[in-house]
Amino acid sequence: MTVLAVDDLHRSFGGIRAVDGVTFGVEQAEIVGIIGPNGSGKSTLFNLLTGALKPDGGSISLFGQNVTRLAPYKIARTGLSRTFQIPALFVNMTVRENLWTAAVQFDWDNARANADAVLERLELTHVADDLASTLSGGQQRLLEMGRVLMQKPKVALLDEVAAGVHPRLRQIMLDAIRTLRDAGTTFLIIEHDMELAQDICDRIIVMDAGKIVAQGSFEEISHDPHVMEAYLGVSADE
Amino acid sequence: MSRPASGGNPYLNLGVLALVVAALCLLPMMTTPYYIRVATGIALWAGIALSWNVICGYAGYISFGHVAFFGIGAYTTAILMQPNRGWNFWATLPVAAVIAGAVAALVGWPALRLKGAYFAIATWALAEAVREFTTVVDFTGGSGGLKTPIRLDDNFFFYTMLGAAAIAYAMCYLLLERSRFGFQVKAVRDNESAARAQGINTTLVKIEAFVLSAMIPAVLGGINAYWITFINPASVLNTIITDQLVVMVLVGGLGHAWGPALGATAMFLLQEQLRVSYGETTAYIIVVGLLVMAIVLFLPDGLVSLGQRARRMRLVRQLLGRVRDDVAPRRTENQTEEAIQ
Repeated sequence: MTVLAVDDLHRSFGGIRAVDGVTFGVEQAEIVGIIGPNGSGKSTLFNLLTGALKPDGGSISLFGQNVTRLAPYKIARTGLSRTFQIPALFVNMTVRENLWTAAVQFDWDNARANADAVLERLELTHVADDLASTLSGGQQRLLEMGRVLMQKPKVALLDEVAAGVHPRLRQIMLDAIRTLRDAGTTFLIIEHDMELAQDICDRIIVMDAGKIVAQGSFEEISHDPHVMEAYLGVSADE
Repeated sequence: MSRPASGGNPYLNLGVLALVVAALCLLPMMTTPYYIRVATGIALWAGIALSWNVICGYAGYISFGHVAFFGIGAYTTAILMQPNRGWNFWATLPVAAVIAGAVAALVGWPALRLKGAYFAIATWALAEAVREFTTVVDFTGGSGGLKTPIRLDDNFFFYTMLGAAAIAYAMCYLLLERSRFGFQVKAVRDNESAARAQGINTTLVKIEAFVLSAMIPAVLGGINAYWITFINPASVLNTIITDQLVVMVLVGGLGHAWGPALGATAMFLLQEQLRVSYGETTAYIIVVGLLVMAIVLFLPDGLVSLGQRARRMRLVRQLLGRVRDDVAPRRTENQTEEAIQ
């Protein structure tokens, strides 16, 4: 079952075509990695999918419903959760309150118990009552992941969620992603870490200059000449 | 590492609160009418400072026009209590709150799409518009103002003002510190994009917070109009009122539940002491200037943060930074390109 369908999506900033005719679909419980060099339009694509930016053209369909011009909060309420490239925490709230806040539109009645479970799972219990602003970079990424876990979303968009996270905690994060996937959650993951992408993604989409230049399994795309040229900076002949 | 207040021992907190309430209720039996009037003034300022704390400290929007809602409340009560209308005083207060709330919703709908300095300017313009309106129309008495029926009963106004302020504090505490709505408001303050991503309708939440922050000064303005027996644009729509309550909140603790009460008490008593000692308020204005500088530099969470368990949020610097960002030059194309990577 296709849960997310993107058709001929366009978005420009002045003369720059950040997303240029992107088309793809994602099946339920699939983990799709999105890779590409800096400036290839990955984060802009996420902003379009979540409603933070409006596209210049094309359409986005979520669970068969056209959400192309829907407000971000309405898209979130359909069951789409996200993390940000630069962690976007509620800095004047504690870690625990950040998790509670993630549940205000969802399972509020069980927010306290769920937050305690998430804190334990992500090994954040010892900083639960500290302000989010005092967390290290890796802990901030974990807390963003914690907010996703609180919402038990149908679709989760993770933007470099494991960057700067300690290898042991990164494993905990990956386990959490797999558990959610097994429960039916679909993932789109922007990642620069090829090892991680290979480890967890069922399929990889490669973007360059706002376009999709290749997609397929990690093995398939790693030998694709377009990918080698666009992402690794070398031509297939070298 | 900063830790938020845990609340401490709830029985001890309740005991302290009960003692404070009992002392305030018994105040008229223990002191002179002068001190009752001082206490009434503190309750008034603590209430309207609280209202500014709701929109700025909790929602993160700097309003320079809050005096408009205080004035709307004062004029609503005064107009309805004119002999030709003859409304009961108590009946005028909900009307004042509803009118101020409606104005806040109407103005907030477009204005809350603005950020930082732009929202502050929009609210300042609202206050000026309301002041000009009351000056030129007949039913407000123009610049000559309006008289309200005289009631020489200090205890009545003390208990009424105290009761209104206490209800406002209880309501705001429950709504902003203990409910889902409070988390929504604070999420909008801390990161609006992230708040939307949690499914929060940020536009609606901001308007609700603005309406709440407008209704409180309207009720207190109505009580004040009855208390002082005469109002005009210079007395209840003076921008110095907004300036005063901004300073009170900063001194007490921006974004803290009890900061406005602490700041209002300290600043009102200081002003009163300077007036009694020196007979004028120029010294007070100098002290206010120095205090604001000292608070921003050395005590950004206000007097509340002197407590060991107080949360260190440093909202003042965050809001000042946001204002600077809002008026910064637009990004170049290269910077835009970097931003979308």
